[in-house]
Amino acid sequence: MNQAVISCLHANLPAVEAVLKDIELQGITNITCLGDLVGYGPQPNEVIELIKDKKIATCQGCWDEDVVDGLDACDCSYPSQIAEKRGHFAHQWTTEKLTKENKDFLANLPYSIRKDKCLFVHGSPNSQHEYLLPDMDAFAALERVENAKAEILFCGHTHQPYIRELANGSIAVKVKNSGSKDIQKKEMNLPMRRIVNAGSVGEPRHGGTKATYVVYNDITNDVKIREVEYDIELTCKAIINAGLPPIFAWRLKNGFEFAERAEDASHVCER
Amino acid sequence: MIERWALISGLKGDLDTYELIQKDLKKTPGNITLFVLGDMIGPEKNCNKLLHRLINPKSNDLQPWCIYGWWEEQILLESGYRGNQRAEALRINKGEEVVKSLINAVDKSFLDWIASLQFGFVELDCGLIHGSSKDVGDDLTLDTPPLTLLDRLTRLQVNRLFTARSTQQFHLELTEGIVHSEVQDLAGNHKKEQKVPQKAVIGVGAGKNYTLYDVGTDNTQFVQAGYQLEKKKNGFGLHL
Ligand SMILES: [Zn+2]
Ligand SMILES: [Zn+2]
Repeated sequence: MNQAVISCLHANLPAVEAVLKDIELQGITNITCLGDLVGYGPQPNEVIELIKDKKIATCQGCWDEDVVDGLDACDCSYPSQIAEKRGHFAHQWTTEKLTKENKDFLANLPYSIRKDKCLFVHGSPNSQHEYLLPDMDAFAALERVENAKAEILFCGHTHQPYIRELANGSIAVKVKNSGSKDIQKKEMNLPMRRIVNAGSVGEPRHGGTKATYVVYNDITNDVKIREVEYDIELTCKAIINAGLPPIFAWRLKNGFEFAERAEDASHVCER
Repeated sequence: MIERWALISGLKGDLDTYELIQKDLKKTPGNITLFVLGDMIGPEKNCNKLLHRLINPKSNDLQPWCIYGWWEEQILLESGYRGNQRAEALRINKGEEVVKSLINAVDKSFLDWIASLQFGFVELDCGLIHGSSKDVGDDLTLDTPPLTLLDRLTRLQVNRLFTARSTQQFHLELTEGIVHSEVQDLAGNHKKEQKVPQKAVIGVGAGKNYTLYDVGTDNTQFVQAGYQLEKKKNGFGLHL
C-alpha cells in the first residue's frame, strides 16, 4: 500500500494544503509527518491545526522542540551570524504567535514513530538536530539505521529529498593480542538498509521552488520523490505582512538551496 | 628511541597503584608518554592524594596527561558545572549514597582542575577518549557491533581509538570494510563504493590493568601494575 511521508512544513499553509491535495488525489490516506510544523513561515497555528484536524501521525522536529523548550540548537546550526539572528527572530515570532494548545501539541509529539520495519524521525535517531546528508559517510549512515533497528529510516531536516540505498556491505575484524594463539578473525555481512529523506513541504532547499515529499509503497518497497507546485506568492505576501524577514520570502521564490544550512552539517549539537 | 605510550584509567583514587605504575614505567624502555584516560576519581576511596599527585607530579614522575572520565563527569554534573543538570543517571542507578560518597571523596578545591580537563586527545591518527567520540559513558567492548565502532572512529576522524570506559583490555582491528551506496535525488542517480582503511579500537583497561602502546609498530601490550617484578619472579623475559 502507498503511504506518504512529509516533513518540514514550516508554517507554510499554501504549500501544506497543496501537498495534502496531491496526496489525496493519489488516494493515499496513510500519512506520516516528520516534524518542523513551524518556523520561518507565517502560519504556524493554521498548519498545526490542519495536521491535528487530519490526524496525521507526527514526530517532533527541531523547530517544534526549540519553540517549546527554548532554543536548543547551538550557533553551529547557522551558516552566519546574520542567519542566526534571523533564525532567533523567527523563533521569537513563532513562540509569541503560537496558542497555548498548539504549544502543548508540539511539546507532546514523539521523537520517533515506528511502523514495522520503518522508523520515522526528524533529523536522525540520535537527535532532531543531526543532518543526515546524502553524501554522509556510508558506514556512519548505515550505523544510524542499524542502531535504530530499522530497515528503512525516514528523515527530514535537511530539506533536500533523497533515497539512499546502502547495500552489499561487509566488515572484517581481527582480534589482536587476545592472549590466545590463533588469530581471531571474523567477517560480517552488513544488511541492506535505506535512508529516505522526505525533503521539505514548506521550505524547499533542493534548488527548486516546489514543495517535496515522498511516497513509499510498503509492498514493492518503491519510494518516489514527489514535487508539488503551490501558490508561493500567497506565502510570500503573508511572510511580509507578518513582519518576518523578507529574505524568507525571497528564498521561497528563488529556491535557494543553501539557506540556513550549517557549514559543518555533520556536527551534532550536544546541548 | 622507541616511542611508547602508557594508557591508564580507572584509578579511582588509588595512589598506590599509580605509584606502582610510575615505578613500572621508569623501567620500561623507550620514550614514554603517560595518558590517564579518566576515572581518576570514584566513590570508593578518598581521591585527594591521587589528584594532588597528578596535578603536582614528583620530580621523578612521568608527567601524566589527563582527560576526564565518567566519574569526573558525574561530579561535575552534581557540582553544577554543567548548567542545571545533575548526576541523575548515577543517582538512579547507584543511589543517593553513592552520589554522596563521590562528593565526599573529592575536595572541592580540585573541581576547577577537573573541569579544566579535556574530553579527549587526538595524537597522530589516534583518538584517546574515556568512552567514545559520542559520549564519555560510551561502553565499547569486543562485542560492540563493528558498525558502531566504525561510527565512533569516523566521528573523530581517527584510525585508532583508545577507550577506557568498559574497563576491558582488547585490541580489535577493523581490517576491511566495503559498502555500496546509491543515492537518488531530483538530480538523478549517484553510485559510490566506499571502503574503510584499516582501523582499530583498543580497550586500555582500568586500575592495575593498563596498556603499553608501541607507536612505531602499532603493537599493544596489556600489563598489570608491577608486571616487571612478577615477570622476574616467574623467570619471564621482557619482550616489549
Ligand atoms: Zn526543517
Ligand atoms: Zn529541522
